[in-house]
Amino acid sequence: MNSGESRRPGWKSLLLRYETLLFVVLVAEWLLFYHFGTTTNRRGIVVGFGTMDRQFDILRHSCEIGLLALALTPVIITAGIDLSVASLLGLCAILFGKFHFDAGMPIPIAIALTLACGCTGGALNAALITTLRLPPLIVTLGTYSLFRGLAEAITHGAVTYTGFPSSFLALGQGRLLGLPVQAWVFLGIAAGVWLLVHRTVHGRSYRAIGFSPEGARFAGIPVGRRLATAYVLAGLIVAAAAIIYTARLGQAKADAGMGYELFAITAVVLGGTSIFGGTGSIAGTLLGVAAIAVLKNGLATLPVVIRMNAAEEMSGLMTGALLLVALTGSIVPGLLSKLRARRQPASPTPVQDPA
Amino acid sequence: MKLYFREVSVAVALVVLLGALAIFAPAFYQPQPLLSLLTREMPTLVVACGAALVIITRQIDISVGSMFSVCSVCAGLLAASGWPLVAVLPASVAIGAVMGVFNGALVAGLGLPSIVVTLATMVTLRQSLNLMRQGEFVNLPDGVQWFGLGQFAGQWTIVGAALLVLAALGLGMRHLAVGRFVYAVGSNAEAARLAGVRPRLVTFLVFVLMGALTGLAAMMNIVQSPQVQPLSGAGLELKVIAAVVVGGVAISGGRGNLWGAFAGLLLLACVSPALTHLRIEAYWEKAIQGAIILLAVVADGVRMRKEKS
Repeated sequence: MNSGESRRPGWKSLLLRYETLLFVVLVAEWLLFYHFGTTTNRRGIVVGFGTMDRQFDILRHSCEIGLLALALTPVIITAGIDLSVASLLGLCAILFGKFHFDAGMPIPIAIALTLACGCTGGALNAALITTLRLPPLIVTLGTYSLFRGLAEAITHGAVTYTGFPSSFLALGQGRLLGLPVQAWVFLGIAAGVWLLVHRTVHGRSYRAIGFSPEGARFAGIPVGRRLATAYVLAGLIVAAAAIIYTARLGQAKADAGMGYELFAITAVVLGGTSIFGGTGSIAGTLLGVAAIAVLKNGLATLPVVIRMNAAEEMSGLMTGALLLVALTGSIVPGLLSKLRARRQPASPTPVQDPA
Repeated sequence: MKLYFREVSVAVALVVLLGALAIFAPAFYQPQPLLSLLTREMPTLVVACGAALVIITRQIDISVGSMFSVCSVCAGLLAASGWPLVAVLPASVAIGAVMGVFNGALVAGLGLPSIVVTLATMVTLRQSLNLMRQGEFVNLPDGVQWFGLGQFAGQWTIVGAALLVLAALGLGMRHLAVGRFVYAVGSNAEAARLAGVRPRLVTFLVFVLMGALTGLAAMMNIVQSPQVQPLSGAGLELKVIAAVVVGGVAISGGRGNLWGAFAGLLLLACVSPALTHLRIEAYWEKAIQGAIILLAVVADGVRMRKEKS
């Protein structure tokens, strides 16, 4: 960024950061639901949003979408997109069940193989995108159908794998040191991705590529290889999400995680990562995930929504609307700087068509 | 020939598939089921025409499935409340166009990426519909099915109307100045602007047309059954994008035509009946369609590489 910005660190720039704003919105949202979504039932027990159980529920539910969002963040920073994440989650869940039950593998080996399959799925995307220079949007649209289709073909659309050992189910349903077990996995992966994206040269180059692939190439960055790692990493994280999903629900089905890609992309964009690439942060993504998870769970506790029996619809509707608002908001900084540039007419250029 | 290699190769693939069916499953060629298959695909064709235009301008619209559902339910409700068909049809088109205006305003007006905008409108529209209708079916009054013409005439009316839309848009894209503007904007918006085309206006109008065509397609769909399913448009967006891309329209804009999209649509539409007739399990349909999309984009990629070197 320019030198003027780096000269004034401290509270003012911290306050003006997008993440801070998002954090305030998140807290406001939480307080709102706490106020309207918490009730005391006839026996004097607090129910609804304010309970500890509900908070853990939010945490549990946000792990899978959160992992998908973490997988997507580096990809979107490179100005790419991966629409296939939720389909790959379904395929990995099915493969995991197949490895364990049909091939009779013990859980750890099945997990390792599932993670490898996730990498393979990501590698397929990566190979098509980097070696053939195809647009990520259309490649992952193809694999979106392919992965989900394979999951359906393997299970004939009917087989559901259930009856996992309870030691495995503890991963999705138990607690460790006060927190749900999968929250620790999630935090671990989040820390890893944060280190990669914000603290390594490798992760830094994602931004350079997203900003300008040509410029990155001239700067000596192996663009193809870096892009490939972003997609393979996404596949790996998605496989981890698939295992956690299976452990939470205790079953693996071909429609696992259907539609999650929308929530994940919304979380990433809401978190301030530009869909055009070049900028973004893991902290923002985590805040975005939290905002969506609180919204999704909070709405289900509002008396109005319970009466209408419309929690699913309302959360989808609000998420879509939230995405539109976040998108519209994302062009405000650009407009402001354009206005500022117009206020100082340095050169006598005529007023241009803003296209 | 070389210029239209992609379109020709899709047509060849289609002919090969139809030939294989003629040899291994002649039962496929019975006039009435074939006409029914064709009629079922016609609404998709009309939407695919719009999607082709959108993709040629280097945008994408994945909200078509939701728009299709909304138009279907609205048209069904209007027909059920006693509106005559001649009034329901323009109303459905208008409802679609209004949704297109919304998408177009956000994409062309504010310069937001169309993939995310239409992802958001897709979900918002679908969930609003669910919220308001709770998945209820709409029963249509008598005289709406097949436009009151009887099945045979109704099917031919739908096929004829859809082919008319295809021909008009296909020829218009080739021979009218407006059609060339669409290609110009998709190839290079800045160059088009310098040449006097208004890229944002063209993009906006393409999105509006997309909405209007979706409204028309919804109308063609609801007359095919006595009830309106609220989820009739689910997954339509992928179907049309797949058809358009398989048909040789480049997702990077500025290339392709509607005839190719038509061939691509027919090819994908034949997969499902072909699986049944060749006794392959139907569960493979989605995977095979995904593989066809990937094959088509890989073919594009390989060809672009060859052209460069």
